[in-house]
Amino acid sequence: MSTAVISPLFRHPHRYGGGHRPTPKFHLNSRKARPFYLNYTQSSRLMFNGACSLSSRHFKPAKTLCLRASSTDIAVVETSESSDVFFRETFQLKRPEKVEGKITIRLESGKDAENWQLTVGCNLLGKWILHWGVNYIGDVGSEWDQPPPFMRPPGSVPIKDYAIETPLEKSLASEGESIYEVKVDFNTNSSIAAINFVLKDEETGSWYQHKGRDFKLPLIDYLQDDGNIVGPKKGLGIWPGSLGQISNTLLKPEAANSKEDIGELSFQKRGLQGFYEEQAVVKETLVDNSVSVSVRHCLETAKNLLYIETDLPGDVIVHWGICKDEGKTWEIPSKPYPPETSIFKDKALRTLLQRKDGGHGSLGSFILDEGFVVFVFVLKLNENTWLNCHGNDFYIPLSSFSDPAIHSGQTHSEDEGQHKESSPLGISGNASEENQEVSAYTDDIINEIRSLVTDISSEKSRKTKSKKAQESILQEIEKLAAEAYSIFRSSIPTFIETDLAKDEALEPPVKISSGTGSGFEILCQGFNWESHKSGKWYMELHEKASKLASLGFTVIWLPPPTDSVSPEGYMPRDLFNLNSRYGNIDELKALVKEFHKVGIRVLGDVVLNHRCAQSKNQNGIWNIFGGRLNWDDRAVVADDPHFQGRGNKSSGDNFHAAPNIDHSQEFVRRDIKEWLQWLREEIGYDGWRLDFVRGFWGGYVKDYLEATEPHFAVGEYWDSLSYTYGEMDHNQDAHRQRIIDWINATNGTAGAFDVTTKGILHSALERCEYWRLSDEKGKPPGVVGWWPSRAVTFIENHDTGSTQGHWRFPGGKEIQGYAYILTHPGTPSVFHDHIFSKYQSEISTLLSIRNRNKINCRSTVKIVKAERDVYAAMIDEKLAMKIGPGHYDPSNGSRNWSLAAEGRDYKVWEAS
Amino acid sequence: MAWHTKSSFGVTLKASNIRAEAAVISEKASKFTRTRPIDGVKLYVGLPLDTVSDSGTINHARAISVGLKALKLLGVDGVELPVWWGIAEKQGMGKYDWTGYLALVEMVRKMGLKLHVSLCFHASKEPKIRLPEWVSRIGKSRPDIYFTDLSGQPYKDCLSIGVDDLPVLDGKTPIEVYNEFYKSFKSSFSAFMGSTITGISIGLGPDGELRYPSHRQLAKDGSQRGAGEFQCYDKNMLSNLKQHAEKLGNPLWGLGGPHDTPGYDQSPISNGFFTEHGGSWETPYGDFFLSWYSSQLVSHGDRVLSLAAETFKDVSISVSGRVPLMHLWYRTRSHPSELTAGIYNTVNRDGYEAIAEIFSRNSCNIILPGMDLSDDHQPNESRPSPELLLAHITSSCRKHGVGVSGQNLLVSGGPKVFEQIKKNLLNENAIDLFTYQRMGAYFFSPEHFPSFTKFVRSLKQPNLRSDDLPLKDEETADSLPDMNLHRQVA
Repeated sequence: MSTAVISPLFRHPHRYGGGHRPTPKFHLNSRKARPFYLNYTQSSRLMFNGACSLSSRHFKPAKTLCLRASSTDIAVVETSESSDVFFRETFQLKRPEKVEGKITIRLESGKDAENWQLTVGCNLLGKWILHWGVNYIGDVGSEWDQPPPFMRPPGSVPIKDYAIETPLEKSLASEGESIYEVKVDFNTNSSIAAINFVLKDEETGSWYQHKGRDFKLPLIDYLQDDGNIVGPKKGLGIWPGSLGQISNTLLKPEAANSKEDIGELSFQKRGLQGFYEEQAVVKETLVDNSVSVSVRHCLETAKNLLYIETDLPGDVIVHWGICKDEGKTWEIPSKPYPPETSIFKDKALRTLLQRKDGGHGSLGSFILDEGFVVFVFVLKLNENTWLNCHGNDFYIPLSSFSDPAIHSGQTHSEDEGQHKESSPLGISGNASEENQEVSAYTDDIINEIRSLVTDISSEKSRKTKSKKAQESILQEIEKLAAEAYSIFRSSIPTFIETDLAKDEALEPPVKISSGTGSGFEILCQGFNWESHKSGKWYMELHEKASKLASLGFTVIWLPPPTDSVSPEGYMPRDLFNLNSRYGNIDELKALVKEFHKVGIRVLGDVVLNHRCAQSKNQNGIWNIFGGRLNWDDRAVVADDPHFQGRGNKSSGDNFHAAPNIDHSQEFVRRDIKEWLQWLREEIGYDGWRLDFVRGFWGGYVKDYLEATEPHFAVGEYWDSLSYTYGEMDHNQDAHRQRIIDWINATNGTAGAFDVTTKGILHSALERCEYWRLSDEKGKPPGVVGWWPSRAVTFIENHDTGSTQGHWRFPGGKEIQGYAYILTHPGTPSVFHDHIFSKYQSEISTLLSIRNRNKINCRSTVKIVKAERDVYAAMIDEKLAMKIGPGHYDPSNGSRNWSLAAEGRDYKVWEAS
Repeated sequence: MAWHTKSSFGVTLKASNIRAEAAVISEKASKFTRTRPIDGVKLYVGLPLDTVSDSGTINHARAISVGLKALKLLGVDGVELPVWWGIAEKQGMGKYDWTGYLALVEMVRKMGLKLHVSLCFHASKEPKIRLPEWVSRIGKSRPDIYFTDLSGQPYKDCLSIGVDDLPVLDGKTPIEVYNEFYKSFKSSFSAFMGSTITGISIGLGPDGELRYPSHRQLAKDGSQRGAGEFQCYDKNMLSNLKQHAEKLGNPLWGLGGPHDTPGYDQSPISNGFFTEHGGSWETPYGDFFLSWYSSQLVSHGDRVLSLAAETFKDVSISVSGRVPLMHLWYRTRSHPSELTAGIYNTVNRDGYEAIAEIFSRNSCNIILPGMDLSDDHQPNESRPSPELLLAHITSSCRKHGVGVSGQNLLVSGGPKVFEQIKKNLLNENAIDLFTYQRMGAYFFSPEHFPSFTKFVRSLKQPNLRSDDLPLKDEETADSLPDMNLHRQVA
């Protein structure tokens, strides 16, 4: 047992510098914080941390350089003159430190009894922001609202739609100290019930609140006090201005006639009284400290003696290890260890440094065998405060041959979320502020979200954070990206060819997907605008099932089945009520069963964009739903003023006749999925025709389809084609692109009606402009030319034709239209009215040609002619067709063609 | 204020322990708000080159607006906005129109993103953005304001450094015109300086880079066969060369550029000047010429940067300039591609010292493109090494204390590209900011955006070794008392 006296190894060039001198910033604050005891809560214990660190900071620098380290029974070393110091360095450290200050709140009356001024100040240095909002009289609940514009001081920035951020301005208070202040003027007649605020320091991102809550300044008398109210308590009379700077403002009762009795809340206009109040506040700043490390080699013992000294106050633990090579793997050396050392998880050692005499700073020595190359360590002040070197471990070479300039090495820590501070080695002060920011509380939801997003891969967060929240954020990002994509894309040359190629490559034709069915589907739209009139449409259709099957249809689209405000079913109300003007639920079930029996799949027409309310809200607005899905106005998008929705903004276009559903709401999506699943199981629907999908984001459709796994799904994305001076443009790429963008948004899980093709057929047939049927690249000009497997081609439906006739196909040319869509790729849909008309036999012929030749949604089409009066094409080299009065004959080719169908201005040939 | 928040995502952080009773909050790290790894690289995304149109309006504003929001949600720190000479000062000298740019900066501010502005004094081919018309008009009558190659072809996408200090623009020198542009920009955007606008880069030449336009026809994929040509054949450069040669007592050396240089498409090492061993570049004449040629460029950089640094010194924004990554032929002795671009860097000489020095002198940062380039995918015949060159330049920067920001060069982001970028960002290159180029249709496309998302997330949360992860439960429990504050989630 001997005592090793270690002579000083350090000449501290920075000793009286950063380490001991309080930063000017701190100095100012601490001086100022001292005289302040006006803590409203009178709880001195809340000024924690600050006091003790203050005292520890005022120690005198050690005068003596003669340091004494007494080793105990295990760490024994004889030092002698032969010792050879080969490493010596002082690292600057930034340590988080708490500074006290105050937040002042002052309410004064202005020029008259109605105009008042709220002043919020803070005497700590910082980039202070007042984050605030108001409650209006009559507001139910406690959400913030934005104050009226006239209340907002210059420089205010709105945050979302319910708060304002106003920077505090620096102003000189007494004693030449600076104080940051913001003044908010308001008028007591402005129907504001309360002003809520918190303070934020933008430099650090910290929030300063009141008892863990927002500061609340009530302007009217509340029935309940949540405990976070500032200002004089009711009935307490006048609260004296504490510094005497503010004259005790007299209670000035408001003219009590202004506002009264709104809603159920009974309150009175508060008799405002001026007050001045201070709140203790503690801010964390970075304080400079240092740690010095030296290594000497003792020739006699052949050991290295490493010495660490620091001026950090309090207990300092060295979390350390040894590396045998330049690598980054920590090892634990063999014993003996210094006193107060424990082993941490077999990976590192933890040594508590000994306090220096006089209590300022600590030191420790480590005796290490030869053969180790590097001594690595980080400093731990407490569970949440770690200090390291520029984000890395301190890296101390243990032989004179190592390059002491390297202080790299992998960060070694047991807790990824810990508070680390970097020393400013080689980096600017900014960097450490950045680090500070990392750990700071931040205000912004976006930051919340950001951490959620970036934490997704983190094991740790998974435990504590809702996975759903993360998913919804990702979904939001995905949605925004999809929207940005579609806009950017529409203004540049399109790359759709690759989509097409990919689609074809990825999906062999046999595979069934909800976007295409089997690929060989032929749809029948099984109703028209008048079908509801008989009241027994389901039964009528029942009779036609076998006929439709024999014609060659594989899928039928039934009318919307739910309870609806309009008889046609497109204004749904109670979604779970399937008694409609088309028949009751049992008739519907029987019908579906019948179709299944004849081999036809059934699509349910589902209206997801909007829903009619069953009752009014308190403002008399129809936005409260009934039935099993009794949603309220939270399910309604916010951007249609007629329905006062409280949801988010619509993700698509608005359908103005009924409240549009906010699909971004989790509960809405959950309910919709449940409903669709119920329809699948209870009724037996095989798939969906989705009404008005322009109204909401395609990504939600994907969600619904993935949840219900339909055999086939098709969306109605109907918007206008481009016209110039009343004449339809030849190039409808933008139009079809919009439809394709929607399909893309659904991830290809749904097809879409090829409105583009219908429009172009209109012009081509009506005006004898058959050249329109080829786009600039010689492909079909509609959606079917770009993404055939997802195009559901049609020439008429219940809206465009029937008794509505919004956009009727040119009369007498319908079969030319069918000769086109039934021979071409895409999935054709034939309208009920056409099937049960004089055209039936011609349609029947075309259907059987299609089925016989196995033309499917991915068939290839080669346009042979697209001239003024004739369009001709070959499909899969099995079919040739022409429409238009002009001449075309395929027989000049190598194949033999036989005429399979012929009628007015059309011909179809089959290869033989 | 109750616990309810208006967050659409239902991110409500509840206090588990109402401990603090006074208005006290510490900044103690909460594991939930942690947004950046310790040595975090800031990530920016470039906005489309034509964000502000020729007529001063914002192109596809809606797309940019939702795009910004997506980036913000993703955790991107900021965006980069090209500000074009040909748009802002289109109307005539000194007639600035900042409206479109102001509107855009406001959009960025509202979204809570930071902004790096690139002042572009060059023209762009795709999308087509020209120099101001009043400048091109002058160029029509005086083509010598442009860089010119041996065959006399002017390069009309930026002004020659030979006219920097000549009053060729209606009595003003280009440097003066640039300087007034900075000043107008600064005063017009003063409200955003240091808050939203955190940095500015100054156009230094073709594509904004500090180089000569030695490669005229840059192929779409960035591939080049030759080493480029010297661009010192405009009237002013030639007369400068002549004077310089005379001053050094070798008037014959000042009669023109080297006679034995290969053409744009010719392999450089095959022909005369750049020949690996015994090429003219290693002769005293070669050294004379290359020294002069490169010093002209360095002086130009110094002139421009010092004015910019002076102008922006009183606002707290960083000033940067872009240095090219001429990585082709880097593995040869003569480095011909760098030489023609004006960087006298060969096996015998470090050409990046002088460049780093002017950036250091003017306290400017260097922006380096090509963080996405890997040595593995380079054509062998042109002996490139983007990775070595990158390491070379960053080490010069480190030596001179110059901050480095990174960019990618190519747009085709694939997983490998992102891996490469990550490698460059997370190693010891000490890159503090990376700007990913650039927002647009491809950027948001299903082929690209998911991998970008993954990239951002992995960057912000670098993989931790499993034994660096915390213990299971004790620490979680530990952390909860920190969450003692409810926040008004904004």
